Amino acid sequence: MAIDDIPRLGCGRSIDRIWATIDRPPTAHEEKCGQCQTARTQLRGLSEATRSLRESDLHNPALKPRPGVKNAIMDVARAEVRQGSRILLRSADTGITEISEQALSSLIRSAAAAIPGVHPRRCRIEIRAAAASLAGEDHPAGTTVMATDAGPRLIVNLRVAAAPGIVIPLAAEALRHEISSAIPAGVGIGAGTVNIIVEDLYDV
Amino acid sequence: MDDHGPGLEPDLDEGSIVARAQDGDLAAFEHLVLTYQSRLFRLAYRMLNDRGDAEDIVQETLTTSWRALPMLADVDAFGGWIYRLATNKSLDLLRKRSAHAEDIIDSDDMDTMPGARACAVSARWDPAHEAEWSAEQNGLTALLSTLPPAQRACWLLREMHGRSYAEIGVTLKISPTAVRGTLARARHQIAEGMSQWR
Repeated sequence: MAIDDIPRLGCGRSIDRIWATIDRPPTAHEEKCGQCQTARTQLRGLSEATRSLRESDLHNPALKPRPGVKNAIMDVARAEVRQGSRILLRSADTGITEISEQALSSLIRSAAAAIPGVHPRRCRIEIRAAAASLAGEDHPAGTTVMATDAGPRLIVNLRVAAAPGIVIPLAAEALRHEISSAIPAGVGIGAGTVNIIVEDLYDV
Repeated sequence: MDDHGPGLEPDLDEGSIVARAQDGDLAAFEHLVLTYQSRLFRLAYRMLNDRGDAEDIVQETLTTSWRALPMLADVDAFGGWIYRLATNKSLDLLRKRSAHAEDIIDSDDMDTMPGARACAVSARWDPAHEAEWSAEQNGLTALLSTLPPAQRACWLLREMHGRSYAEIGVTLKISPTAVRGTLARARHQIAEGMSQWR
């Protein structure tokens, strides 16, 4: 099946070539060739109609889905939202407090958004039991620690896109500081380890 | 605290928005739905000539995308991926329709082009909002409806949506060279038809 074949006029010119050059003056051949002239006229008409249809469809208020469509999509998304694992924040006789990984990721991204030139992306949170953390690494110096020793030890892995030209070590430190403050302030446990992965540079 | 953040920063790049949606961020996903739903609707409507079917394609495509998002390896590939889903769902629906319809166009045979006849326009044509259109646009959309489905998809993806040859090739499972040939035949067919109209 010759699906790669491009239609040609009787004179041998390909439609593709004529299409690519319809905005230019005709070549010496095209000036003399009736088939080429006809094809040029037809394709110019098509080019204009195509542009016109594209613009018209783009701005035609009737060519949009009804609002119910978006609502139905978002209803499904909400019903099937991936909340990740739950992290225990506090356990007492009066009850426990937990937060979903998804909600804590949102809090972390909100905090990270305060740093200019960085777009927070995916966030993975690993949890180590409190006992392991006591024997493990130190808490970052200068962070506010609230009930950390009683809570879980978090390892935050935040992926980000950075603006080109940004000084990554400085931005990463600023991010770490912002996140390390926001987690205790927001949910009352220590931030633990905050790993920053710059996975992309975004266009400004 | 808002579970899904206070909304998105205004200058956020699409890759970051996709990454957040992969993490289950509903505000990010809603932004993607708002960005793509009208584009996908225009594609599906021009493929299918039916508002209800086009809305179904948009809804199915974006719902599927929510479920499959965590598996998307490259966040920058979201646009191409979502267009591919919508195109293939539209082609599937046309295949189902043609199994029931009398005027069957073989969707797999891109070489066989039926004559460009205005009378071949789908019976589902919606005159309400088409009425105000210029005769030229009506002619073009009528001729478009006579193209074989894969050829029509190829033309729409390139000419109406500006998708790349490589991406269209992946969508239609043909080489970029074959995309070029298919497009050339579609343009030739439509241009010939338009000249007969005049």
